[in-house]
Amino acid sequence: MFLGKVVGYVWSTVKWPELQGIKMLLIKPYNYDEITGKATGPDFDAVVAADVLGAGPGEDVVVAYGHAARVGIEEDLAEGEPPHFPIDAAVVAIVDNFFVKANEKNNN
Amino acid sequence: MIQGQVIGEVWATKKMGHLQGQKLILVAQREKAGFAGRVIVAMDSMDAREGDEVVVSFGSGARNVFMPGSRTILVDAAISQIIDRRPVI
Repeated sequence: MFLGKVVGYVWSTVKWPELQGIKMLLIKPYNYDEITGKATGPDFDAVVAADVLGAGPGEDVVVAYGHAARVGIEEDLAEGEPPHFPIDAAVVAIVDNFFVKANEKNNN
Repeated sequence: MIQGQVIGEVWATKKMGHLQGQKLILVAQREKAGFAGRVIVAMDSMDAREGDEVVVSFGSGARNVFMPGSRTILVDAAISQIIDRRPVI
């Protein structure tokens, strides 16, 4: 999983039928220098992630990848039933606040 | 798996049911000089504290930390080891 900021939406008309009604967000991941205020991150390294929690632009979110993302979107799966959505990234939490240690030690 | 240092914590009220009651921590990935790349959000069942050096497992390996063999839990990064000593080569 990674921490990122929602920077926009992605719209598409032609898509897999089961994805109808699932919002796609454009999310820019935080990198280490950015989160500690040392430098700005890469200009653009955005990820498209499915969202059922209702996150909006400007909010910080946690994004899960792979199998975990499909399990998250299809939350009412029966035990043993494989998820089948064609997604591999999903918003799993909308962040209220995060705390980062200001100065690191032992940084070889 | 990657090696990193715990740099902080994340709080979220609005989250998926699977994540209720789980502690989410921020891990910076180690590189030869300092840290690099995206900040990882990992689930922690081992009570890692900020400043701890940890090993983070991804994918199925991360699910096995919480529930071995399960394919229905929402975990894609988990702390699997807390490092005592880190020889630098």
